Amino acid sequence: MKSRKNIIGIVCLIVAVILPWLFNSTYYLSLFGQTLINIIIVFGLNFITGLTRNMNLGTAGIMAVGAYTSALLSTRLGISPWIGLAAAILVGFLIGRGLGYPSLRISGVYLSLTTIAFGEIVRLVLNNTTSVTGGAQGLTNVPVFSIFGFQIQRGIPFYYFLLLFMLLMFWISTRIVRSKWGRAFKAISDNPDAAESLGIDIAKIKILAFTLAAIYAALGGALYGNLMGYLNPSTFNFDFSINFVIMLMIGGIGIVRGNIIGAIVVTMLPELLRFLGDYYQLVFYTIAFIGAIKLPQGWPAGIVSLVKWVARKTGSKSRKEG
Amino acid sequence: MGDILNVSHLTKRFSGLVAVDDLSLTVKERQIHTLIGPNGAGKSTTINLITGVLKGDTGTITFAGKDISDMPTHKIAQLGLGRTFQNIKLFGAMSVIENLMVGAHKNTSQGIVNFLWNTKRAKDEEEKMRAHAEQVLKQIDMYSHKDDMVNELPYGLRKMTELGRTLMIDPKMILLDEPAAGLNPSERQEFIQHLKDVYDSGIDLFLIEHNMDVVMSISHYITVINFGAKIAEGEPKEVVNNPEVIKAYLGSRFKAE
Repeated sequence: MKSRKNIIGIVCLIVAVILPWLFNSTYYLSLFGQTLINIIIVFGLNFITGLTRNMNLGTAGIMAVGAYTSALLSTRLGISPWIGLAAAILVGFLIGRGLGYPSLRISGVYLSLTTIAFGEIVRLVLNNTTSVTGGAQGLTNVPVFSIFGFQIQRGIPFYYFLLLFMLLMFWISTRIVRSKWGRAFKAISDNPDAAESLGIDIAKIKILAFTLAAIYAALGGALYGNLMGYLNPSTFNFDFSINFVIMLMIGGIGIVRGNIIGAIVVTMLPELLRFLGDYYQLVFYTIAFIGAIKLPQGWPAGIVSLVKWVARKTGSKSRKEG
Repeated sequence: MGDILNVSHLTKRFSGLVAVDDLSLTVKERQIHTLIGPNGAGKSTTINLITGVLKGDTGTITFAGKDISDMPTHKIAQLGLGRTFQNIKLFGAMSVIENLMVGAHKNTSQGIVNFLWNTKRAKDEEEKMRAHAEQVLKQIDMYSHKDDMVNELPYGLRKMTELGRTLMIDPKMILLDEPAAGLNPSERQEFIQHLKDVYDSGIDLFLIEHNMDVVMSISHYITVINFGAKIAEGEPKEVVNNPEVIKAYLGSRFKAE
Protein backbone atom coordinates (compact mmCIF):
# COMPACT_ATOMS: atom_id res chain seq x y z
CA MET A 1 0.00 0.00 0.00
CA LYS A 2 2.77 2.37 0.96
CA SER A 3 4.81 1.58 -2.14
CA ARG A 4 1.74 2.12 -4.31
CA LYS A 5 1.30 5.56 -2.74
CA ASN A 6 4.95 6.30 -3.44
CA ILE A 7 4.56 5.30 -7.08
CA ILE A 8 1.54 7.61 -7.44
CA GLY A 9 3.62 10.39 -5.89
CA ILE A 10 6.52 9.83 -8.29
CA VAL A 11 4.18 9.75 -11.31
CA CYS A 12 2.57 13.03 -10.18
CA LEU A 13 6.00 14.56 -9.76
CA ILE A 14 7.09 13.49 -13.27
CA VAL A 15 3.87 14.96 -14.70
CA ALA A 16 4.54 18.18 -12.78
CA VAL A 17 8.08 18.33 -14.19
CA ILE A 18 7.11 17.84 -17.86
CA LEU A 19 3.89 19.86 -17.67
CA PRO A 20 5.36 23.27 -18.63
CA TRP A 21 6.88 21.76 -21.79
CA LEU A 22 3.50 20.40 -22.87
CA PHE A 23 1.61 23.62 -22.21
CA ASN A 24 4.27 26.17 -22.93
CA SER A 25 2.40 29.44 -23.08
CA THR A 26 2.45 32.48 -20.81
CA TYR A 27 -1.16 31.90 -19.93
CA TYR A 28 -0.76 28.27 -18.87
CA LEU A 29 2.50 28.89 -17.02
CA SER A 30 0.87 31.64 -15.02
CA LEU A 31 -2.05 29.34 -14.27
CA PHE A 32 0.26 26.53 -13.15
CA GLY A 33 2.24 28.99 -11.03
CA GLN A 34 -0.96 30.17 -9.35
CA THR A 35 -1.91 26.56 -8.71
CA LEU A 36 1.41 25.90 -6.97
CA ILE A 37 1.02 29.02 -4.84
CA ASN A 38 -2.54 28.06 -3.94
CA ILE A 39 -1.31 24.63 -2.90
CA ILE A 40 1.18 26.24 -0.50
CA ILE A 41 -1.52 28.45 1.00
CA VAL A 42 -3.92 25.53 1.47
CA PHE A 43 -1.16 23.64 3.29
CA GLY A 44 -1.19 26.50 5.79
CA LEU A 45 -4.97 26.74 6.01
CA ASN A 46 -4.99 23.02 6.72
CA PHE A 47 -3.39 23.67 10.11
CA ILE A 48 -5.94 26.13 11.35
CA THR A 49 -9.15 25.25 9.52
CA GLY A 50 -8.34 21.63 8.73
CA LEU A 51 -6.84 20.37 11.96
CA THR A 52 -7.86 22.77 14.72
CA ARG A 53 -11.20 23.53 13.02
CA ASN A 54 -11.14 27.31 13.31
CA MET A 55 -12.74 28.71 10.17
CA ASN A 56 -10.34 31.25 8.73
CA LEU A 57 -12.03 33.37 6.07
CA GLY A 58 -9.32 36.01 5.91
CA THR A 59 -6.70 34.10 3.95
CA ALA A 60 -6.74 36.53 1.03
CA GLY A 61 -6.07 39.39 3.44
CA ILE A 62 -3.04 37.67 4.94
CA MET A 63 -1.84 36.82 1.45
CA ALA A 64 -2.22 40.47 0.43
CA VAL A 65 -0.15 41.69 3.36
CA GLY A 66 2.60 39.22 2.44
CA ALA A 67 2.43 40.19 -1.24
CA TYR A 68 2.51 43.93 -0.64
CA THR A 69 5.22 43.73 2.03
CA SER A 70 7.56 41.91 -0.31
CA ALA A 71 6.59 43.87 -3.43
CA LEU A 72 6.83 47.30 -1.78
CA LEU A 73 10.24 46.52 -0.34
CA SER A 74 11.56 45.50 -3.75
CA THR A 75 9.83 48.11 -5.93
CA ARG A 76 10.03 51.16 -3.65
CA LEU A 77 13.28 50.48 -1.82
CA GLY A 78 15.04 48.21 -4.30
CA ILE A 79 15.58 45.49 -1.74
CA SER A 80 16.17 41.95 -2.99
CA PRO A 81 12.99 39.83 -3.32
CA TRP A 82 14.69 37.23 -1.12
CA ILE A 83 14.66 39.68 1.77
CA GLY A 84 11.09 40.53 0.74
CA LEU A 85 10.25 36.86 1.15
CA ALA A 86 11.82 36.82 4.62
CA ALA A 87 9.88 39.99 5.48
CA ALA A 88 6.67 38.29 4.33
CA ILE A 89 7.40 35.40 6.69
CA LEU A 90 7.90 37.90 9.50
CA VAL A 91 4.62 39.72 8.86
CA GLY A 92 2.91 36.35 8.52
CA PHE A 93 4.21 35.49 11.96
CA LEU A 94 2.94 38.77 13.40
CA ILE A 95 -0.50 38.44 11.76
CA GLY A 96 -0.77 34.87 13.00
CA ARG A 97 -0.12 36.01 16.55
CA GLY A 98 -2.51 38.93 16.13
CA LEU A 99 -5.34 36.77 14.79
CA GLY A 100 -4.53 33.94 17.17
CA TYR A 101 -5.18 35.93 20.34
CA PRO A 102 -8.79 36.85 19.55
CA SER A 103 -9.37 33.18 18.71
CA LEU A 104 -8.81 32.37 22.38
CA ARG A 105 -11.80 34.44 23.42
CA ILE A 106 -14.14 33.99 20.49
CA SER A 107 -14.86 30.92 18.45
CA GLY A 108 -17.10 29.52 15.75
CA VAL A 109 -19.00 31.96 13.60
CA TYR A 110 -17.73 34.98 15.54
CA LEU A 111 -14.13 34.05 14.86
CA SER A 112 -14.93 33.61 11.16
CA LEU A 113 -16.47 37.09 11.14
CA THR A 114 -13.32 38.49 12.73
CA THR A 115 -11.16 36.95 10.03
CA ILE A 116 -13.49 38.28 7.31
CA ALA A 117 -13.21 41.72 8.88
CA PHE A 118 -9.43 41.43 8.87
CA GLY A 119 -9.39 40.54 5.17
CA GLU A 120 -11.68 43.41 4.26
CA ILE A 121 -9.72 45.93 6.34
CA VAL A 122 -6.51 44.92 4.57
CA ARG A 123 -8.12 45.28 1.17
CA LEU A 124 -9.61 48.69 1.98
CA VAL A 125 -6.36 49.99 3.45
CA LEU A 126 -4.41 48.84 0.39
CA ASN A 127 -7.01 50.47 -1.86
CA ASN A 128 -6.92 53.79 -0.09
CA THR A 129 -3.26 54.33 0.75
CA THR A 130 -2.70 55.30 -2.86
CA SER A 131 0.59 57.10 -2.27
CA VAL A 132 2.27 53.96 -0.99
CA THR A 133 0.50 51.04 -2.63
CA GLY A 134 -0.72 52.61 -5.82
CA GLY A 135 -4.28 51.98 -4.66
CA ALA A 136 -6.73 50.61 -7.22
CA GLN A 137 -4.20 51.40 -9.96
CA GLY A 138 -2.15 48.54 -8.62
CA LEU A 139 1.53 48.05 -8.07
CA THR A 140 3.60 47.26 -11.15
CA ASN A 141 7.09 45.99 -11.95
CA VAL A 142 7.46 43.56 -9.08
CA PRO A 143 10.89 42.05 -9.80
CA VAL A 144 11.81 38.38 -10.11
CA PHE A 145 14.21 36.45 -7.92
CA SER A 146 17.81 36.03 -8.88
CA ILE A 147 20.17 33.39 -7.63
CA PHE A 148 23.98 33.63 -7.91
CA GLY A 149 23.52 36.50 -10.34
CA PHE A 150 21.11 34.59 -12.60
CA GLN A 151 17.56 35.86 -12.84
CA ILE A 152 14.80 33.30 -12.44
CA GLN A 153 12.70 34.49 -15.36
CA ARG A 154 8.94 34.26 -15.37
CA GLY A 155 7.85 31.27 -17.36
CA ILE A 156 9.42 27.85 -17.14
CA PRO A 157 12.28 28.76 -14.72
CA PHE A 158 9.92 30.39 -12.22
CA TYR A 159 7.55 27.44 -12.55
CA TYR A 160 10.32 25.10 -11.39
CA PHE A 161 11.27 27.52 -8.63
CA LEU A 162 7.67 27.44 -7.37
CA LEU A 163 7.53 23.67 -7.74
CA LEU A 164 10.61 23.30 -5.53
CA PHE A 165 9.12 25.70 -3.03
CA MET A 166 5.85 23.77 -3.00
CA LEU A 167 7.69 20.49 -2.42
CA LEU A 168 9.62 22.04 0.46
CA MET A 169 6.39 23.27 2.05
CA PHE A 170 4.78 19.87 1.41
CA TRP A 171 7.63 18.17 3.22
CA ILE A 172 7.36 20.57 6.19
CA SER A 173 3.56 20.21 6.36
CA THR A 174 3.65 16.44 6.23
CA ARG A 175 6.23 16.35 8.99
CA ILE A 176 4.22 18.71 11.20
CA VAL A 177 0.92 16.89 10.63
CA ARG A 178 2.48 13.53 11.49
CA SER A 179 4.24 14.81 14.59
CA LYS A 180 3.24 15.71 18.12
CA TRP A 181 2.14 19.10 16.73
CA GLY A 182 -0.31 17.55 14.29
CA ARG A 183 -1.71 15.36 17.03
CA ALA A 184 -2.03 18.34 19.37
CA PHE A 185 -3.85 20.34 16.66
CA LYS A 186 -6.31 17.50 16.20
CA ALA A 187 -6.64 16.94 19.94
CA ILE A 188 -7.63 20.50 20.83
CA SER A 189 -10.42 20.54 18.25
CA ASP A 190 -11.54 16.98 18.87
CA ASN A 191 -11.81 17.21 22.64
CA PRO A 192 -10.46 20.36 24.27
CA ASP A 193 -11.32 19.22 27.82
CA ALA A 194 -9.32 16.04 27.38
CA ALA A 195 -6.40 17.90 25.79
CA GLU A 196 -6.22 20.28 28.73
CA SER A 197 -6.40 17.42 31.20
CA LEU A 198 -3.22 16.06 29.58
CA GLY A 199 -1.33 19.28 30.22
CA ILE A 200 -1.69 20.74 26.73
CA ASP A 201 -1.89 24.52 26.68
CA ILE A 202 -4.73 25.07 24.20
CA ALA A 203 -3.94 28.76 23.80
CA LYS A 204 -0.37 28.04 22.77
CA ILE A 205 -1.34 25.33 20.27
CA LYS A 206 -4.12 27.44 18.74
CA ILE A 207 -1.81 30.40 18.27
CA LEU A 208 0.81 28.12 16.73
CA ALA A 209 -1.74 26.83 14.22
CA PHE A 210 -2.80 30.37 13.34
CA THR A 211 0.81 31.47 13.02
CA LEU A 212 1.71 28.61 10.69
CA ALA A 213 -1.36 29.31 8.55
CA ALA A 214 -0.51 33.00 8.34
CA ILE A 215 3.15 32.37 7.47
CA TYR A 216 2.15 30.03 4.65
CA ALA A 217 -0.38 32.55 3.33
CA ALA A 218 2.01 35.50 3.54
CA LEU A 219 4.70 33.47 1.82
CA GLY A 220 2.24 32.47 -0.89
CA GLY A 221 1.28 36.12 -1.29
CA ALA A 222 4.89 37.22 -1.74
CA LEU A 223 5.45 34.54 -4.39
CA TYR A 224 2.21 35.60 -6.08
CA GLY A 225 3.57 39.12 -6.49
CA ASN A 226 6.75 37.77 -8.04
CA LEU A 227 4.80 35.47 -10.35
CA MET A 228 2.41 38.13 -11.66
CA GLY A 229 4.74 41.12 -11.54
CA TYR A 230 1.67 43.16 -10.73
CA LEU A 231 -0.55 43.49 -7.67
CA ASN A 232 -4.00 44.95 -7.26
CA PRO A 233 -6.00 45.06 -4.02
CA SER A 234 -9.15 43.83 -5.76
CA THR A 235 -7.50 40.44 -6.34
CA PHE A 236 -7.51 39.74 -2.63
CA ASN A 237 -11.26 39.81 -2.09
CA PHE A 238 -13.55 37.68 0.00
CA ASP A 239 -14.26 35.25 -2.88
CA PHE A 240 -10.58 34.43 -2.96
CA SER A 241 -10.60 33.56 0.77
CA ILE A 242 -13.65 31.36 0.24
CA ASN A 243 -11.88 29.56 -2.60
CA PHE A 244 -9.13 28.41 -0.25
CA VAL A 245 -11.71 26.90 2.08
CA ILE A 246 -13.30 25.12 -0.92
CA MET A 247 -9.88 23.76 -1.90
CA LEU A 248 -9.46 22.42 1.61
CA MET A 249 -12.92 20.86 1.55
CA ILE A 250 -12.52 19.22 -1.84
CA GLY A 251 -9.14 17.75 -0.95
CA GLY A 252 -10.35 16.37 2.34
CA ILE A 253 -9.95 18.34 5.56
CA GLY A 254 -6.73 17.64 7.42
CA ILE A 255 -5.06 15.63 4.64
CA VAL A 256 -1.88 17.18 3.22
CA ARG A 257 -1.94 15.19 -0.06
CA GLY A 258 -5.60 16.11 -0.41
CA ASN A 259 -4.70 19.81 -0.12
CA ILE A 260 -2.75 19.49 -3.37
CA ILE A 261 -5.67 17.89 -5.20
CA GLY A 262 -8.14 20.45 -3.84
CA ALA A 263 -5.96 23.37 -4.90
CA ILE A 264 -5.46 21.91 -8.39
CA VAL A 265 -9.19 21.26 -8.88
CA VAL A 266 -10.33 24.68 -7.69
CA THR A 267 -7.66 26.60 -9.61
CA MET A 268 -8.01 24.64 -12.87
CA LEU A 269 -11.74 23.94 -12.92
CA PRO A 270 -12.80 27.51 -13.80
CA GLU A 271 -10.45 27.33 -16.81
CA LEU A 272 -11.94 24.02 -17.89
CA LEU A 273 -15.44 25.45 -17.44
CA ARG A 274 -14.63 28.56 -19.45
CA PHE A 275 -16.78 27.36 -22.36
CA LEU A 276 -19.81 27.87 -20.13
CA GLY A 277 -19.27 31.61 -20.22
CA ASP A 278 -21.34 33.47 -17.66
CA TYR A 279 -22.68 30.24 -16.20
CA TYR A 280 -19.30 28.94 -15.10
CA GLN A 281 -19.62 30.29 -11.55
CA LEU A 282 -23.04 28.75 -11.16
CA VAL A 283 -21.73 25.36 -12.28
CA PHE A 284 -18.52 25.63 -10.25
CA TYR A 285 -20.23 26.52 -6.98
CA THR A 286 -22.92 23.90 -7.55
CA ILE A 287 -20.21 21.25 -7.91
CA ALA A 288 -18.47 22.53 -4.77
CA PHE A 289 -21.80 22.57 -2.90
CA ILE A 290 -22.74 19.03 -3.87
CA GLY A 291 -19.22 17.91 -2.96
CA ALA A 292 -19.51 19.48 0.48
CA ILE A 293 -22.76 17.66 1.18
CA LYS A 294 -22.12 14.31 -0.49
CA LEU A 295 -18.38 13.90 0.06
CA PRO A 296 -17.60 15.49 3.43
CA GLN A 297 -14.30 13.58 3.58
CA GLY A 298 -13.22 15.23 0.35
CA TRP A 299 -13.22 14.06 -3.23
CA PRO A 300 -10.16 11.79 -3.15
CA ALA A 301 -11.50 9.81 -0.18
CA GLY A 302 -14.96 9.79 -1.76
CA ILE A 303 -13.61 8.47 -5.06
CA VAL A 304 -11.56 5.78 -3.28
CA SER A 305 -14.63 4.51 -1.41
CA LEU A 306 -16.67 4.69 -4.64
CA VAL A 307 -14.07 2.58 -6.47
CA LYS A 308 -14.07 0.08 -3.61
CA TRP A 309 -17.87 -0.03 -3.67
CA VAL A 310 -17.94 -0.63 -7.43
CA ALA A 311 -15.23 -3.32 -7.11
CA ARG A 312 -17.25 -5.04 -4.41
CA LYS A 313 -20.44 -4.90 -6.48
CA THR A 314 -18.86 -6.23 -9.65
CA GLY A 315 -16.80 -8.72 -7.67
CA SER A 316 -19.86 -10.23 -6.00
CA LYS A 317 -21.71 -10.21 -9.34
CA SER A 318 -18.99 -12.13 -11.15
CA ARG A 319 -18.81 -14.61 -8.30
CA LYS A 320 -22.55 -15.17 -8.61
CA GLU A 321 -22.30 -15.63 -12.36
CA GLY A 322 -19.31 -17.91 -12.06
CA MET B 1 3.38 9.73 54.72
CA GLY B 2 2.59 13.21 53.50
CA ASP B 3 -0.51 14.50 51.83
CA ILE B 4 -0.71 14.44 48.07
CA LEU B 5 -3.94 16.43 47.83
CA ASN B 6 -5.41 18.80 50.30
CA VAL B 7 -8.78 20.47 49.89
CA SER B 8 -9.60 22.99 52.56
CA HIS B 9 -12.89 24.84 53.16
CA LEU B 10 -13.83 24.67 49.49
CA THR B 11 -17.14 26.26 48.50
CA LYS B 12 -18.73 26.58 45.09
CA ARG B 13 -22.07 28.22 44.41
CA PHE B 14 -24.01 28.12 41.15
CA SER B 15 -26.17 31.23 41.55
CA GLY B 16 -28.50 30.10 44.37
CA LEU B 17 -27.38 26.50 44.64
CA VAL B 18 -24.48 25.56 46.88
CA ALA B 19 -22.87 22.68 44.99
CA VAL B 20 -19.88 22.28 47.28
CA ASP B 21 -20.25 23.55 50.84
CA ASP B 22 -17.16 24.20 52.96
CA LEU B 23 -15.62 20.88 51.97
CA SER B 24 -12.31 19.79 53.43
CA LEU B 25 -10.59 16.53 52.62
CA THR B 26 -7.08 15.18 52.57
CA VAL B 27 -5.72 12.45 50.34
CA LYS B 28 -2.63 10.84 51.81
CA GLU B 29 0.22 9.53 49.72
CA ARG B 30 0.11 5.83 48.95
CA GLN B 31 -3.61 5.53 49.39
CA ILE B 32 -6.62 4.77 47.23
CA HIS B 33 -9.15 7.36 48.32
CA THR B 34 -12.77 7.20 47.22
CA LEU B 35 -15.40 9.92 47.24
CA ILE B 36 -18.99 8.66 47.42
CA GLY B 37 -22.36 10.28 47.78
CA PRO B 38 -25.84 10.32 46.28
CA ASN B 39 -26.61 11.85 42.88
CA GLY B 40 -26.27 15.61 42.98
CA ALA B 41 -24.09 15.54 46.08
CA GLY B 42 -21.41 17.59 44.32
CA LYS B 43 -18.91 14.85 43.48
CA SER B 44 -18.32 15.84 39.88
CA THR B 45 -18.20 19.50 40.84
CA THR B 46 -15.50 18.62 43.38
CA ILE B 47 -13.42 16.88 40.69
CA ASN B 48 -13.91 19.82 38.35
CA LEU B 49 -12.76 22.19 41.09
CA ILE B 50 -9.67 20.11 41.84
CA THR B 51 -8.69 19.85 38.18
CA GLY B 52 -9.22 23.56 37.59
CA VAL B 53 -12.12 23.20 35.16
CA LEU B 54 -14.17 25.27 37.64
CA LYS B 55 -12.87 27.87 40.08
CA GLY B 56 -14.00 27.71 43.69
CA ASP B 57 -15.60 30.73 45.38
CA THR B 58 -13.61 30.24 48.57
CA GLY B 59 -11.15 27.71 49.90
CA THR B 60 -7.79 26.40 48.82
CA ILE B 61 -6.57 23.26 47.06
CA THR B 62 -2.98 22.09 47.26
CA PHE B 63 -1.54 19.28 45.19
CA ALA B 64 1.93 17.83 45.85
CA GLY B 65 2.73 20.80 48.04
CA LYS B 66 1.67 23.47 45.52
CA ASP B 67 -1.34 25.74 45.74
CA ILE B 68 -3.40 24.92 42.64
CA SER B 69 -6.57 26.86 43.57
CA ASP B 70 -6.08 29.42 40.81
CA MET B 71 -4.14 27.38 38.27
CA PRO B 72 -5.50 26.63 34.81
CA THR B 73 -6.27 22.98 34.05
CA HIS B 74 -3.24 22.31 31.85
CA LYS B 75 -0.82 23.65 34.50
CA ILE B 76 -2.37 21.36 37.11
CA ALA B 77 -2.01 18.43 34.75
CA GLN B 78 1.62 19.39 34.18
CA LEU B 79 2.21 19.04 37.92
CA GLY B 80 1.23 15.39 37.56
CA LEU B 81 -2.49 15.26 38.23
CA GLY B 82 -4.11 12.96 35.68
CA ARG B 83 -7.82 12.34 35.26
CA THR B 84 -10.39 10.27 33.43
CA PHE B 85 -13.89 11.44 32.62
CA GLN B 86 -17.30 10.15 33.61
CA ASN B 87 -18.35 9.87 29.98
CA ILE B 88 -15.07 8.97 28.31
CA LYS B 89 -13.40 11.81 26.43
CA LEU B 90 -11.11 10.40 23.77
CA PHE B 91 -9.83 11.89 20.53
CA GLY B 92 -12.22 10.14 18.17
CA ALA B 93 -10.35 10.88 14.95
CA MET B 94 -7.21 9.12 16.16
CA SER B 95 -6.00 5.60 16.76
CA VAL B 96 -5.39 4.17 20.23
CA ILE B 97 -1.64 4.75 20.13
CA GLU B 98 -2.07 8.31 18.83
CA ASN B 99 -4.44 9.04 21.71
CA LEU B 100 -1.77 7.89 24.13
CA MET B 101 0.93 9.85 22.36
CA VAL B 102 -1.04 13.07 22.86
CA GLY B 103 -0.66 12.29 26.55
CA ALA B 104 3.12 12.38 26.15
CA HIS B 105 3.04 15.84 24.56
CA LYS B 106 3.65 17.74 27.79
CA ASN B 107 6.78 15.75 28.56
CA THR B 108 8.49 16.72 25.31
CA SER B 109 10.73 19.73 25.09
CA GLN B 110 11.43 20.38 21.41
CA GLY B 111 9.98 23.65 20.11
CA ILE B 112 8.56 24.07 16.62
CA VAL B 113 11.53 25.99 15.16
CA ASN B 114 14.00 23.39 16.44
CA PHE B 115 11.64 20.69 15.16
CA LEU B 116 11.85 22.07 11.62
CA TRP B 117 15.61 21.98 11.23
CA ASN B 118 16.72 19.39 13.77
CA THR B 119 15.08 16.44 12.07
CA LYS B 120 17.13 13.90 13.96
CA ARG B 121 16.04 15.14 17.36
CA ALA B 122 12.44 15.33 16.13
CA LYS B 123 12.64 11.71 15.03
CA ASP B 124 14.21 10.61 18.32
CA GLU B 125 11.53 12.39 20.32
CA GLU B 126 8.77 10.83 18.21
CA GLU B 127 10.24 7.36 18.65
CA LYS B 128 10.58 7.89 22.38
CA MET B 129 6.91 8.89 22.62
CA ARG B 130 5.88 5.87 20.57
CA ALA B 131 7.99 3.50 22.68
CA HIS B 132 6.52 4.93 25.88
CA ALA B 133 2.99 4.52 24.50
CA GLU B 134 3.70 0.93 23.46
CA GLN B 135 5.03 0.13 26.90
CA VAL B 136 1.90 1.56 28.57
CA LEU B 137 -0.32 -0.36 26.13
CA LYS B 138 1.42 -3.58 27.07
CA GLN B 139 0.96 -2.74 30.73
CA ILE B 140 -2.82 -2.38 30.28
CA ASP B 141 -3.10 -5.35 27.88
CA MET B 142 -4.09 -3.25 24.91
CA TYR B 143 -1.06 -3.64 22.67
CA SER B 144 -2.98 -5.68 20.09
CA HIS B 145 -5.41 -2.77 19.67
CA LYS B 146 -2.79 -0.08 19.21
CA ASP B 147 -3.70 0.85 15.63
CA ASP B 148 -7.47 0.57 16.05
CA MET B 149 -9.50 3.74 15.78
CA VAL B 150 -10.89 4.56 19.22
CA ASN B 151 -14.41 5.13 17.90
CA GLU B 152 -14.57 1.53 16.75
CA LEU B 153 -13.60 0.08 20.14
CA PRO B 154 -16.09 -1.41 22.58
CA TYR B 155 -16.88 0.66 25.67
CA GLY B 156 -14.62 -1.23 28.06
CA LEU B 157 -11.57 -0.82 25.83
CA ARG B 158 -12.32 2.88 25.38
CA LYS B 159 -12.19 3.23 29.16
CA MET B 160 -8.86 1.40 29.19
CA THR B 161 -7.53 3.68 26.45
CA GLU B 162 -8.46 6.70 28.53
CA LEU B 163 -6.65 5.25 31.52
CA GLY B 164 -3.61 4.52 29.36
CA ARG B 165 -3.65 8.05 27.99
CA THR B 166 -3.58 9.62 31.42
CA LEU B 167 -0.76 7.26 32.44
CA MET B 168 1.28 8.82 29.62
CA ILE B 169 1.56 12.15 31.46
CA ASP B 170 3.57 10.39 34.20
CA PRO B 171 1.05 11.31 36.86
CA LYS B 172 1.62 11.38 40.62
CA MET B 173 -2.08 10.91 41.15
CA ILE B 174 -5.05 10.04 38.93
CA LEU B 175 -8.61 11.24 39.52
CA LEU B 176 -11.10 8.73 38.18
CA ASP B 177 -14.67 9.87 37.69
CA GLU B 178 -16.85 6.76 37.99
CA PRO B 179 -14.39 4.30 36.43
CA ALA B 180 -16.71 1.29 36.78
CA ALA B 181 -19.79 2.92 35.25
CA GLY B 182 -21.04 1.11 32.17
CA LEU B 183 -18.77 -1.91 32.57
CA ASN B 184 -20.12 -5.43 32.87
CA PRO B 185 -19.06 -7.48 35.93
CA SER B 186 -16.13 -9.21 34.23
CA GLU B 187 -14.86 -5.99 32.64
CA ARG B 188 -15.23 -4.38 36.05
CA GLN B 189 -13.04 -7.04 37.68
CA GLU B 190 -10.44 -6.55 35.00
CA PHE B 191 -10.54 -2.78 35.35
CA ILE B 192 -10.14 -2.99 39.14
CA GLN B 193 -7.13 -5.25 38.67
CA HIS B 194 -5.57 -2.73 36.30
CA LEU B 195 -6.26 0.08 38.77
CA LYS B 196 -4.54 -1.92 41.49
CA ASP B 197 -1.55 -2.47 39.20
CA VAL B 198 -1.43 1.25 38.49
CA TYR B 199 -1.52 1.92 42.22
CA ASP B 200 1.23 -0.62 42.85
CA SER B 201 3.39 1.11 40.26
CA GLY B 202 3.48 4.12 42.60
CA ILE B 203 0.58 6.29 41.45
CA ASP B 204 -2.00 7.42 44.00
CA LEU B 205 -5.67 7.15 43.09
CA PHE B 206 -8.66 9.29 43.92
CA LEU B 207 -11.96 7.84 42.76
CA ILE B 208 -15.54 8.88 42.50
CA GLU B 209 -17.57 5.71 42.39
CA HIS B 210 -21.15 4.57 42.71
CA ASN B 211 -20.65 0.85 42.61
CA MET B 212 -20.22 -0.24 46.24
CA ASP B 213 -18.54 -3.56 45.27
CA VAL B 214 -15.82 -1.59 43.56
CA VAL B 215 -15.60 0.92 46.38
CA MET B 216 -15.26 -1.75 49.06
CA SER B 217 -12.79 -3.88 47.13
CA ILE B 218 -10.35 -1.14 46.25
CA SER B 219 -10.56 1.78 48.71
CA HIS B 220 -8.27 2.41 51.62
CA TYR B 221 -10.16 5.45 52.74
CA ILE B 222 -13.60 6.85 51.95
CA THR B 223 -15.09 10.32 52.11
CA VAL B 224 -18.88 10.64 51.93
CA ILE B 225 -20.54 13.85 50.85
CA ASN B 226 -24.16 14.90 50.64
CA PHE B 227 -25.54 18.27 49.48
CA GLY B 228 -21.95 19.36 48.89
CA ALA B 229 -20.88 18.87 52.50
CA LYS B 230 -18.87 16.09 54.06
CA ILE B 231 -20.97 13.82 56.27
CA ALA B 232 -18.44 11.10 57.09
CA GLU B 233 -15.01 9.79 56.37
CA GLY B 234 -12.80 6.93 57.43
CA GLU B 235 -11.82 3.37 56.66
CA PRO B 236 -14.35 1.52 54.47
CA LYS B 237 -15.66 -0.61 57.38
CA GLU B 238 -16.38 2.36 59.65
CA VAL B 239 -17.98 4.37 56.89
CA VAL B 240 -20.48 1.73 55.80
CA ASN B 241 -21.61 1.30 59.39
CA ASN B 242 -22.04 5.00 59.97
CA PRO B 243 -25.80 5.57 60.48
CA GLU B 244 -25.78 8.90 58.69
CA VAL B 245 -24.13 7.40 55.61
CA ILE B 246 -26.66 4.57 55.60
CA LYS B 247 -29.50 7.05 55.81
CA ALA B 248 -28.21 9.42 53.14
CA TYR B 249 -26.72 7.04 50.65
CA LEU B 250 -26.39 3.34 51.24
CA GLY B 251 -29.88 2.41 52.39
CA SER B 252 -30.77 -0.11 55.02
CA ARG B 253 -29.47 -3.16 53.16
CA PHE B 254 -25.97 -2.34 54.42
CA LYS B 255 -27.05 -2.19 58.05
CA ALA B 256 -27.04 -5.93 58.61
CA GLU B 257 -23.32 -6.42 57.91
